[in-house]
Amino acid sequence: MSNSISKRKALHEWKLYLFIVPALLLLLTFSYLPAISAIYHSFFRWTGGDSKEFIGLKNFQAALSDSIFWDSFILIAILVASNVVKLVPSIVMAVLIHRLKSDRWQYWYRVGVVLPMIVPGLVTLFIWKFFFDPTHGALNQFLDISGLKTLLVHFDQALHLGGIFSEGVPISWLGEPALIIPSLIIWGFPWIGAVGVLIYLAGLQSIGAEIYEAAELDGANSWQRFRFVEFPLIMTQVRLSLVMLIIATLQGYGLQFLLLGPDGGPGGRGMVPGLWMFNRAFLAGEFGYACALGIFLFAFILGLTVLNNRYVRVEK
Amino acid sequence: MNATASSKASVAASRRRSDLPKHFVLILLLGISLLPFYMMMQISLKDNQAFFANNWLPGLPETWQWQNYLYAIRLILPYVVNSVVVSVTATAGCLATAILGAYFFARYKMPFSSLLWPAFLLLMLMPSVANIVPLFSIVKSLNLLNSLWALILLGAAGGLVFSIYVLRNFIEEIPQDIFEAAEIDGASHFRQIINVVIPMSGSIIGTLAILTFLNTWNDFLMPLIVLRDSEIFTIGVGLIYLNGEYVKEWGQIMAAFFVASLPLIIIFLFMMKLFIRGLSAGAVKG
Repeated sequence: MSNSISKRKALHEWKLYLFIVPALLLLLTFSYLPAISAIYHSFFRWTGGDSKEFIGLKNFQAALSDSIFWDSFILIAILVASNVVKLVPSIVMAVLIHRLKSDRWQYWYRVGVVLPMIVPGLVTLFIWKFFFDPTHGALNQFLDISGLKTLLVHFDQALHLGGIFSEGVPISWLGEPALIIPSLIIWGFPWIGAVGVLIYLAGLQSIGAEIYEAAELDGANSWQRFRFVEFPLIMTQVRLSLVMLIIATLQGYGLQFLLLGPDGGPGGRGMVPGLWMFNRAFLAGEFGYACALGIFLFAFILGLTVLNNRYVRVEK
Repeated sequence: MNATASSKASVAASRRRSDLPKHFVLILLLGISLLPFYMMMQISLKDNQAFFANNWLPGLPETWQWQNYLYAIRLILPYVVNSVVVSVTATAGCLATAILGAYFFARYKMPFSSLLWPAFLLLMLMPSVANIVPLFSIVKSLNLLNSLWALILLGAAGGLVFSIYVLRNFIEEIPQDIFEAAEIDGASHFRQIINVVIPMSGSIIGTLAILTFLNTWNDFLMPLIVLRDSEIFTIGVGLIYLNGEYVKEWGQIMAAFFVASLPLIIIFLFMMKLFIRGLSAGAVKG
């Protein structure tokens, strides 16, 4: 803990204030000022230049009836739900590594989990964009070779999907409106998150050997051991990564921008709130309106964060 | 006697065997995770003809198209250099500022510091997504449009609050006696940071540095709206323009991706241990 300090000592130590000045300057300019500026400009018709016109709450009124903006939250809900499922491979991986008897293997798998991170996230996204390529992409070729394509075609005919999958026509993952959302979910398969696995492993290591022995004496099988011993102990970490994922999904639009472009792909099916804000500002030049959208989004995320903090504190 | 020994041996053998399915699943999962890397590597050595003929298996060594890398290096290297300059400077700036700031909060309870701290933490709760539009106009009014300085300052400011938050906790855990001893020896606060704080929080500084570096390195939205001239593009923007070209020589593109990954690969090779330890330790603390 930091020491309390008397007024006289504090006066004597005035130089310490110089230490906080650089941080304060940076944060004032690039964190506080933008927030205030966003609120201020949301009341203006502003195209990013010097001239702006005060229009009161008109931007907010327009935002409330902006169906593209509110529909984009549906996509967020879908992506968040899929992210919950996507946590499973990382948990499975952590439990499997933890259950290995050999410490040396545990170490090497740990290294293996981190290894895919050597490819920058940006490049991984570009490679996935290439995987989605209709003619040369790895995904379609895999589906063709493995025969899964035939299955999908039958699926299409049975459910009358209208030829999204048809024989002899390459699947256009990022070009067919109905496939945009599946593509946004599939990318990154098998969704091993290095940070997640390492966090879970750290949680699992806190399980004492005697708990395992007790479980073994009780005749617990592999699933029961997971359900009643391992999972409860990594619950905190799982919830932590879930919260981080939800907030990242709400805020993020780099993924959609790179895979689909600033219009959210064909039919705008990949439109997320952040991307729409970006689109309004830098493509339509409606900076004031984009600020108003940003404030809605901001309020939404802040509300979630506060809710989460309260929830987590109660749990403790 | 003999029977128990042999049963023990068979138990050990069965244990080892029972790990086999786990190894199988683990290797499968890791294998697919590494698929993008594998595809990038093997395609980067092919020309389009070889790529169209067979894009899954690597070609024979004598068909490897090393000139793809020549092309990629000529094209991408300037962007990589720009990205390195931006990320390294931003990381150094962020951590220097963060160490000073964390020391201010951790060393004494100075007047006003109890007001400043919650104001800082508030920034961690605040979503940054709404900021990109006003940031653009601030960068513009600072006359930093089309300049790498904008990205450096933004990168440094971006990871700052989190780094201060983590570092404050670490500095507060350093025993006070060490600071007092240093003070008696006549060390200024700056000296105490150099001689006490930095040596004692080396590994966490390393982890924070990697995190800040990664964030700056992977950012492409800010560079996209800030940078205009192709000479100062960072890799993100460079790759977006490269990927948008109509006629694609896939081998050259993949080689460019690999060259763009190289700095991170080098960092990871040297800091793998630090990275794993730092992440796990941070997770346990949190």
